[in-house]
Amino acid sequence: MTDDGERVPSPEETLRVIEQQRAVTNRALQPDPLRMYVPWGVAWLLGFTAFFLHYGLNGEPYAPISQMQALAVLMIAQVAAGSVAAYEIARMSSHTRGDNQVKGTMYGYTWFAGMALMIVIAMRVSPLLPPELSGLLWAGGTLTVVAILYMAGGAVWLQWPMFFIGVWIAGVNGLGLMLGAGWHALLTAVLLGGGQIAAGLWLWRRS
Amino acid sequence: MTDAAPELDPVIHAQARLRVMVTLNTLCEGDEMAFPSLKELLGMTAGNLSVHLSKLEEAEYVRIVKTHKGRTPVTYVAMTRRGRAALEDYTRAIRALLDTAGGTA
Repeated sequence: MTDDGERVPSPEETLRVIEQQRAVTNRALQPDPLRMYVPWGVAWLLGFTAFFLHYGLNGEPYAPISQMQALAVLMIAQVAAGSVAAYEIARMSSHTRGDNQVKGTMYGYTWFAGMALMIVIAMRVSPLLPPELSGLLWAGGTLTVVAILYMAGGAVWLQWPMFFIGVWIAGVNGLGLMLGAGWHALLTAVLLGGGQIAAGLWLWRRS
Repeated sequence: MTDAAPELDPVIHAQARLRVMVTLNTLCEGDEMAFPSLKELLGMTAGNLSVHLSKLEEAEYVRIVKTHKGRTPVTYVAMTRRGRAALEDYTRAIRALLDTAGGTA
């Protein structure tokens, strides 16, 4: 008996208790992949499919969607995904305070600074570009910020899946930028939108 | 001469307190967990958890910080270095017990 009058568990039972409790805690303190990755995947799949249909692969649109309409689809879906992610981050950070919360705050401001500067650059430069290249500047620039911040987030919290999703975004973005606006939209919709949905579901099943 | 069975820390060797220690040990150093979250993660009543926390605090395995968020009092709990070391020793002792139980047959 222990000093609390409990029955003494066997060493096997004790190790099992340790493992179970560790798993329960990690699930609560780490982001739910279904809420972190899948909404962004859906947003990019919808938004960049709209852009792909607008550009086409040979300069001919596949559907009568204007650039502004495609942008509206992407922005609305991204705002929805961002709200889900913000809710998830708030849920996680409500459990603890300390260094981890400070990291999260700095990381949040880094996102804001990266995106704000990207928008300023694109607004200054895009009037000088033909429509296709201006679209590529907005999409490619935004994805560059996202890729770098995923990789940096992986480094801050030692999260390999997050780091590798960042590497994947960087690679696909680079390839799309070289191939042109139509290809960039297609690759982003399928490989990054679909890819994040697949990664989110896979990580969720594994957790 | 046979090897003596490793001594198990009686403070941790109660399942409820072991689970408290394991939960707090997942936090990075410098982080503290809110009391309600700890209660929820362990599925304990506030009274029960408080009793276990004071035993752990007495052993200097955890640090309890009482503060205010606006006007509401909030309590945070963190593991001390001594607590981390004790949990590590305890886990090692349990593994050693398993090895002797399984290895000398």
